[in-house]
Amino acid sequence: MWIQPKELLLPSAFWIAEMHSRYFVLQKRRGHGESRGFGSMLVGTYDSVMNTKPAPYRILHQTPSSEVSYEIAIGITQDEIVRDWEWLQSNLFKVLDEMENEDEVTNFTICKIQSLYTQNNQDDTGESADFKVMTSQFRQIFKMPEEERLVNSYSATYVKNKIPRQGQLYISLNHVCYYSYMLGQEIKRIIRFAELEDISRNANTIYLKTTNNMTYNFTMLFNASEAHLLIEQLNKMAIQQLIHDPDSPVVDHDPSNFARLGNKTSKKPVLLRDLTARQKSEEFRIYFRLPQSEIIDGKIKANIWTPYSKRFNSGFIYLSPNFLCFRSDVKDLVSVVIPMKTIKSVEKKDDGQQRFENQIVIITSENVPFMFAHIVDRDVLISKITDLLARIHVPVSRERAKYDISWSKQTALMNTFKTQFSAEIVQKQEEKMLRWEAHFRDFGRGIGMFRTTDVINLIVEGIPDKLRQEIWLIFSGAIHDKEMNPGLYEDLVEKAACIKNCFSHDEIDRDLPRSLPEHPAFQSTDGIGALRRVLQAYALRNPQVGYCQAMNIVSSVFLLFCDEENAFWMLASLCENLLPDYYKDKVVGAQIDQGVLNELVETHLADLHGHLEQLGVIKMISISWFLTIFMSVISYESSLHILDCFFYEGAKIIFMISLQIIEWNREKLLQCQDDGEAMLVLQNYLEGIYNPEYQVPPATDKRKMERKIQTQTVQTLIHEAYTKFGEEITQQRIEELRNKHRRLTMRQFDIDNEKTIVKAYVQNPYFSRNELHKLLTIIREEKHALKSLQQQQQKAQCPLSEMPQLVPQSPSRAIHEAGASGDRHEAYSVNYEVFHTLFTELTPWRKCVSVDIGEKLFRLTDKRGTGSLDFGQLINALGLVCSTKSMEKLKLLFVLHLPPLLSKAEIERSRRPRPRTKDDAEEAFEAEDFFDNDASESMEALPSPSDHNFDADDFALISATQHLHNLAGISGNTFMDLSRTPNLSLNSNTSSLAQRSSTFYVDMPALQGTATSTDAGRDEDGPQRGLRQQGRYESIDTFSDISDLGAARMTPPGAGVGTGADVAAGAQAAAAADHMLLNVETISNFSQISDLVAATRQERADSTATDSRSLGSLGYLLDQPDEGASCSQHSIPHMRKENFQLLWRSIIEIMGLVQDEEMQRAYENLLELGNSNIKKEPSLESFTQLNLGGSGDEQPDSNGNPTTPAAEPIGTTRLFVALEEELRQASGNGRTTTTSSGNSSSSSTNTSESWHISISQFIATVLTVNSIVRGFQTPIQISEQIEQLQKKRRKCLSVNY
Amino acid sequence: MSGRKKSLLKVIILGDSSVGKTSLMNQYVNKRFSNQYKATIGADFCTKEVVVNDRVVTMQIWDTAGQERFQSLGVAFYRGADCCVLVYDVTAPNSFKNLDSWRDEFLIQASPRDPEHFPFVVLGNKVDLDNRQVSTRRAQQWCQSKNDIPYYETSAKEGINVEMAFQVIAKNALELEAEAEVINDFPDQITLGSQNNRPGNPDNCQC
Repeated sequence: MWIQPKELLLPSAFWIAEMHSRYFVLQKRRGHGESRGFGSMLVGTYDSVMNTKPAPYRILHQTPSSEVSYEIAIGITQDEIVRDWEWLQSNLFKVLDEMENEDEVTNFTICKIQSLYTQNNQDDTGESADFKVMTSQFRQIFKMPEEERLVNSYSATYVKNKIPRQGQLYISLNHVCYYSYMLGQEIKRIIRFAELEDISRNANTIYLKTTNNMTYNFTMLFNASEAHLLIEQLNKMAIQQLIHDPDSPVVDHDPSNFARLGNKTSKKPVLLRDLTARQKSEEFRIYFRLPQSEIIDGKIKANIWTPYSKRFNSGFIYLSPNFLCFRSDVKDLVSVVIPMKTIKSVEKKDDGQQRFENQIVIITSENVPFMFAHIVDRDVLISKITDLLARIHVPVSRERAKYDISWSKQTALMNTFKTQFSAEIVQKQEEKMLRWEAHFRDFGRGIGMFRTTDVINLIVEGIPDKLRQEIWLIFSGAIHDKEMNPGLYEDLVEKAACIKNCFSHDEIDRDLPRSLPEHPAFQSTDGIGALRRVLQAYALRNPQVGYCQAMNIVSSVFLLFCDEENAFWMLASLCENLLPDYYKDKVVGAQIDQGVLNELVETHLADLHGHLEQLGVIKMISISWFLTIFMSVISYESSLHILDCFFYEGAKIIFMISLQIIEWNREKLLQCQDDGEAMLVLQNYLEGIYNPEYQVPPATDKRKMERKIQTQTVQTLIHEAYTKFGEEITQQRIEELRNKHRRLTMRQFDIDNEKTIVKAYVQNPYFSRNELHKLLTIIREEKHALKSLQQQQQKAQCPLSEMPQLVPQSPSRAIHEAGASGDRHEAYSVNYEVFHTLFTELTPWRKCVSVDIGEKLFRLTDKRGTGSLDFGQLINALGLVCSTKSMEKLKLLFVLHLPPLLSKAEIERSRRPRPRTKDDAEEAFEAEDFFDNDASESMEALPSPSDHNFDADDFALISATQHLHNLAGISGNTFMDLSRTPNLSLNSNTSSLAQRSSTFYVDMPALQGTATSTDAGRDEDGPQRGLRQQGRYESIDTFSDISDLGAARMTPPGAGVGTGADVAAGAQAAAAADHMLLNVETISNFSQISDLVAATRQERADSTATDSRSLGSLGYLLDQPDEGASCSQHSIPHMRKENFQLLWRSIIEIMGLVQDEEMQRAYENLLELGNSNIKKEPSLESFTQLNLGGSGDEQPDSNGNPTTPAAEPIGTTRLFVALEEELRQASGNGRTTTTSSGNSSSSSTNTSESWHISISQFIATVLTVNSIVRGFQTPIQISEQIEQLQKKRRKCLSVNY
Repeated sequence: MSGRKKSLLKVIILGDSSVGKTSLMNQYVNKRFSNQYKATIGADFCTKEVVVNDRVVTMQIWDTAGQERFQSLGVAFYRGADCCVLVYDVTAPNSFKNLDSWRDEFLIQASPRDPEHFPFVVLGNKVDLDNRQVSTRRAQQWCQSKNDIPYYETSAKEGINVEMAFQVIAKNALELEAEAEVINDFPDQITLGSQNNRPGNPDNCQC
């Protein structure tokens, strides 16, 4: 990488020259990649301590007579630097040699390099070369993938065992990492942001604590606060991501956000700047209540003229794409929000007076002038505003689809359902109106009003009914969202009305009459209808929230004062901005704020806290207080005043009022003995709160009479709350506390979940309670680690992906239907990657290398083919492997080496490159070609354990894919069938029966895979070969029973070719034929296995079926570990020689690659046994037969759409469609091949293929071998293994996936 | 021992949203029915003095939110419960199906000492309505399968069976307490004079 040429005076210290030329030298840093010589160790320490961190390679330019040399290129790898060197060689060496003057040489070189440097960096990310080096070092040291982006790094001291170590702290998007290298001792630490439990800073030291109780402290001389804030921010983002959308990337970096005011180029890394900007934007958005999409563009110092006070006030102008805002330096003195689209003109104004220089005047569309003065960078500001104005786009109402739904927007319900106020109250309202009007005259009206403390004084007294809509909309910020999305509400309402049978709609309907029943408006259809539309529209807008009880209560109050569209937007701003995450699953936001309230009580009402904590009061009260903003506990007339303040102050008011309520009941609460008493105290108090300025609607008069005496006005409550807590509780403090409690709450969820799961599985035969906890922890950690990496990979693949927007998506209702306990367990189910890691890291069978046992075990355990294992399955699988049950373990191992788990492909691979018979290969060529592509594609797309290691050139790949399809519960068979059998079933039902029979095949033993499929003298030989080439099971064996069916099958392929019928038509028929399948099966009484297979299929179709029988039923060992001995009930197929040989190898590997004599003898015995079995049983037991035909009537239909709704993920459906398409195109080839190969196949039976042993033979023999029994009886302490793995992860001793 | 006897019974009402939990509670406590209840958020709370087995006890009735996303918050309320009332709506089959999950969830979160014998009572509410969908037999079968939970069909609106059901609830809750005491007392009597007081058994006999 070329760099800006740098002068150097000491060219050789710490460096070794690798290449020389007359003017250039390529050097390598000492200590890089070499053995631990003393010199390199010193250099390493020096680099680490001095924080120099140079790139390991560089090129210098020097002239023989000059002392000075220039660093012109650096490289992180040798290849990279050599490339630069070669460029020099070919482009410069010659030219330079021709020059005479050394100065000229130097000038020329530097000039050239500079131009190269700028050229290369033009389109680049704008990162400095140093930072790039740092990034690559970070990735190298911690083995991080390309996608993990470094944010910044800081020189820091890490104190471990009281020994301080100087090193470097790296902060990347998902991790805090630390590296130090001192005198030969390397220290690495990796901490994921999501696992931080506590972050604190004391002076220059940052303390971190993780969820598994590791503590770290890093001391830094500089930038400690920057690093601390960065860690806080990234942690917050990581936790929020867990709440919001676990599948979204942590940060989406959009370079276009970097057009900043002032054009100052910062030296800081791009991502760091991005994050800082993000942080600032958020503060900015919260303060001015702007939509979430607003990103701060910059701020500039200025003074604003406030006409009401006739003076200039200093502060900052903030610019964002759609807003120009001002905020005074003096807190709450004045702030202004001016939407860009209302700006009519921006003028420079200079009236010559020194005091008011650099003025501009902004005039809005309502002809309101805003005067700013003392603008630091006026011209920049003006050009920036011009720029933003040019880019602004005024949203227009979109053309939208017309629905056949008639409705009209409901206006504020209070207009229709007028409340009869007493004269006194009416007069009071009018007085208030007058004061508000006066206020508007002075301070302006609408969005652009001057927001001062005067307005809050007015608000605290209660907004007059007529103004509520206007004021609420402005201060909640809902108005901005509304204006930016014209027509969206109507659209949502109509779309939602078209959705039928929706779970959240049912929930909404149930709650409509239970929202504000005391108000006449909600006893009528007008009110109910409007409420329904608002709630349904919101559920559609934000499927993550859907509908949560309490939303109905607040929305109904909104509807009283606002028209329904406004009410909708206020609800949106409530759910998304004002009370973030409150209404999500588990009302997580409210739970977080519950923690915040608890802490506030601890600080402000310390004497009460202990008592309340003991009673558990805060947990009980806060949910209803928070979620309904007191509307469910205080009469709604009174809570209106709180709501008025709430829109202005945000969540802060809720905390203030809560504290005030508790404070007021201090004495009574202290006397309470139990939670019930405390609840009664508070209930009585809250019921006594009334609002003298608002008459209760007549319908509730009765209720009012029954109430307890009115004890306190809501006005006093609010007033007192402001006086006592208004100063101390600020939005910023709440945000800080929320960050902390967000961590703690999420952690608590995990702890609770773990406890519950452990409770559910504590009876398992393998692990103790403690071990289960540890397992859950490691699963969680591994899942997180994997997920964060995968997300980044996804992000890297589609860099344009946007932050999750709240656009209407197809709402997923499945979440609601799965029970809470389902979700809980869901969090600890593992996919293949995680399982495999756990298997290899934790179990003794990791030693087995020639066969990927982990993968087999996963497939065996994952009976339903969901692509993931639940915790119960996992502990059974891992538990058995780690247990001392030698017999069951041996059985399991045996099963794992049976087909289809151990496919031929693997056997082949582990043996030798397969020689292919020539003519056979040619015949099959086309079909194979086609299926190869096909198969490999589908492999990648499959959610099943992906078998990267199949040889793409291998025939058996196809069958393996088939296996996978089946194991993954994706029945691709129907489509495979298409090319083969479609036409028959067109003819008649009988022929379709015949055709069906062709779905029974015989599994071909491995050795035969090399040769032609030889169904000795069988007339169905042809079709069978065809099948094989089409990715079905290969078969060699002769089986008398099948010949009956086989004879019938004789016709189909021929007919197929003959008629050449349309495959597409056949596709439909194939589906119909599926129905026949089961019938066929019932008549075909083959071997037990075929039954088993049928059972598998049935089970897959009907997921509620018991697990006991299936292909995966080989896995009965895992289900009933204690009954494993009774294997007579479960038929385990016999094993063929090849599989057996591999099995034996696995055993040896598990034993640690030693084979004593006893083992050798046992092996030979078993081989002999297998031989003798050939003679004994000629046919029936000698082959394993697997039926992989269409899977019952719940197969995907001809369009590839699964008819079982629950079965397949959408992705696979698409896969099927593609697959089918390809099949159609290639079907011609496929058929031809089928027939031709059928004719030419040889027909000889290789009897040696019937070598087999049964599981009882195997077990009986092996159990006589002492060393094996001993080896398999050794217990494994899983907790030790887990701790080791955690340590490894922490210290980066192994690769992260 | 008798001094330790609680004169307070904590009863939790669980069940799907809008099966009538609040109405049942109010019918029982205030003898009133209203169709003007708001959906319960978090939990509601009432007390009532009842006479059971000639003893006056205070019954604390906790009425909980029915929506599923509130389920995980239950743990705050379940603590120390003496009886759990499972309510379903006889016109809503789903609310019946969910009884299983409510029961399991309660047992998990409340962790009673003896989950097998914790007193539950099942109420099929809204029998006054015409469009009944869950048959008595089906409900009874379910209750039998869960260790013979007492089952009553109620109508909070008409006040049918409410009083009686709550009497049973109170009685069963008290029985649980009595049983718990027996369990506690028993080992004390056989370990008379011995020194090895089991740690898990703090209430040792004072005789």
